Amino acid sequence: MLQTLSILAGKTVSLISKLLNRSGSTWPGHAAFGLDSNIVKKLTRTNPKLRIVLVAGTNGKTTTSKMLSEILEANGKKVFRNEEGANLLNGIASSLISHSNLLGKINFDTAIFEVDENSLSIILENTKPYAVILLNLFRDQLDRYGEVNIIAEKWKKALENLPKETFLISNGDDPMLSYISAKSGTENYYFGLPKKINSSTGSDPLQSDVDFLYCPHCSTKLEFESRIYSHLGKFKCPKCNFTNPLIYSFDTLSNPLLGEYNRYNINAAALLLTEGFGVGLDAIEMSLQNFTPAFGRQEKIKYKNKDVFVMLSKNPASFNQSIQAILGKEKSPNVLLVLNDRIPDGRDVSWIWDIDTDELSRKASSITISGERCFDMGLRLKYSEGKFEIRENLEQAINYAISKLKTGHTLYILPTYSAMLDTRKILTGRSIL
Amino acid sequence: MNYTLKIGWLYPDLMNTYGDRGNILVLQKRCQWRNIDVEIKHLDVGFLDTELKACDILFMGGAQDTQQMIVSHDFSANKTTLLKELVEAGTPGLFICGAYQFLGQYYKEADGTKIPGLSILDLYTEHPGNNRKRLIGNIIIKVNSQWSLVDRNKPITNKPSTISYLVGFENHGGMTYLADKSLSFGKVIKGFGNNGRDETEGIMYKNSIGTYLHGPILPKNPKLADFLIQKALTKKYGKVKLEKLDDTLENKARSVIAKRLGTAL
Repeated sequence: MLQTLSILAGKTVSLISKLLNRSGSTWPGHAAFGLDSNIVKKLTRTNPKLRIVLVAGTNGKTTTSKMLSEILEANGKKVFRNEEGANLLNGIASSLISHSNLLGKINFDTAIFEVDENSLSIILENTKPYAVILLNLFRDQLDRYGEVNIIAEKWKKALENLPKETFLISNGDDPMLSYISAKSGTENYYFGLPKKINSSTGSDPLQSDVDFLYCPHCSTKLEFESRIYSHLGKFKCPKCNFTNPLIYSFDTLSNPLLGEYNRYNINAAALLLTEGFGVGLDAIEMSLQNFTPAFGRQEKIKYKNKDVFVMLSKNPASFNQSIQAILGKEKSPNVLLVLNDRIPDGRDVSWIWDIDTDELSRKASSITISGERCFDMGLRLKYSEGKFEIRENLEQAINYAISKLKTGHTLYILPTYSAMLDTRKILTGRSIL
Repeated sequence: MNYTLKIGWLYPDLMNTYGDRGNILVLQKRCQWRNIDVEIKHLDVGFLDTELKACDILFMGGAQDTQQMIVSHDFSANKTTLLKELVEAGTPGLFICGAYQFLGQYYKEADGTKIPGLSILDLYTEHPGNNRKRLIGNIIIKVNSQWSLVDRNKPITNKPSTISYLVGFENHGGMTYLADKSLSFGKVIKGFGNNGRDETEGIMYKNSIGTYLHGPILPKNPKLADFLIQKALTKKYGKVKLEKLDDTLENKARSVIAKRLGTAL
């Protein structure tokens, strides 16, 4: 009875917030939690056939979740996902409630939930997931998430209690994720990328988006035979021989997105789909070819008849990968960097000093800077000795950057999270969240 | 005359959590822009005493606990003595957050475990327990007027031409207490500082500065960077006048934070 009441409360709030046209994707969860703090546990228990997939990691959660759900749907499954940003326990609750009837019955095959780094433990306690995907772990918003080692430690503890039958799919090119996954009690599957030829193998400390360069077992400095980016690659500990596990890489699949980092997302999705859902590679390939990115993640938007590409860039690793993806496509790109410091962006903007901006400064045809902390980003670029223009007002910045485009050229916008929402609002004339 | 400075960066791949390499970039470029030859010397695990000794400016950033353990392990008694000698001899140094704590007497963890520090600076740090909130946020401090980096010939005004106010971002669980509060680097205007209680922030001893200011500290406080450079040059070559650089953008970035915190600089 209480469960029905909680679901009803959640659904009512959901309806009201929709009627008010408010962005309230976690409100239903809040309302239901007020009545029953075990609502997620109960709903997952009431629906033992619902396969829950949790996707965790610093970067790539939304893209991987979208890929998984689209491929599963194309293969006849009924799938739902949690809404953008609703990745704490109450967001999961909201998502479950809005897909259940009043008796708590959920008529779907699979739920794909992206989960916040700090909430993985509590969400694991409350759900009995069919599969868990760990994409990567990088420094990100230290004022909000804390230090990356602390998250790794929390994940390690959470994984130790994972039921044996859960599929654990981890990044085998990440030293820390390999280490904590091996410590869990489940049967593990690892994805990765083949060895890169001519990659940087040293650990140039001026490359500052790296977090795990030392052996998680014995604290000796790891030797990298090849690095894909950040601390992802082929590593070996010279002292205790800790090295990559056996990895799966689906090199024949096409990459519908820019940047090598998306290959990790594709391989993670493909590994779960083939091993956990029996989807064939041909079927995966077919869906990938039609894949369009989630909003703000390499999203192409037409604005004033110009091509604009919005690439969410929210921490050193993701910013560096955005830069690399752009430079891989264009010799002298036009870019707009938008730095905000609201809560979803992280209040601390120190991280911009861990980005490598020198190559971009050298090669860019134009760099425009905006956002609430535009002068800080300006300083970052000043110390890369490139040319740039600052426009505090975002709309003016977009228009200025557009005016710098030659015919047929694309503007690449690299915004932090809240800046991405603001940017999209200007570009599309409406807000999504 | 050709000037040359060697900047020693202690444990760049371990003590580098909060964008602290920005401090190195600022020191490096502000030297180069004035035609001062500059070398960045990475002092990694296993560095030699002679390598440390050859440095004109020292820098060490903040770190996570596991990384700091590796550093602790590497910092032998010899290295500690040598670093102490350099600090006593007035080598300019900047020690941020974890490095600042590490130079003190000890760090008491939340569970009561005491980790000895290098005992180069007379201070200690205690973590008040995990139910206490970390001290996080934008911070503004006013540098104590006795320090030589405050130009005493000029009256302290609200203009950014004086060095008196520093802007940064702090994020620390540990609370630091100085044996002698008169050595504090500055007074907290907005934010928490050493411990959130006694309004002190950081320490200044000879030409070494320990502070909780990330941000990183130097890009938005270029005068502090210039102070370190000037001190190093003076120590090596005698009195040297630094060429002025254009800090318009720096001042704009500073004033955004000051405005938000409702204070003037």
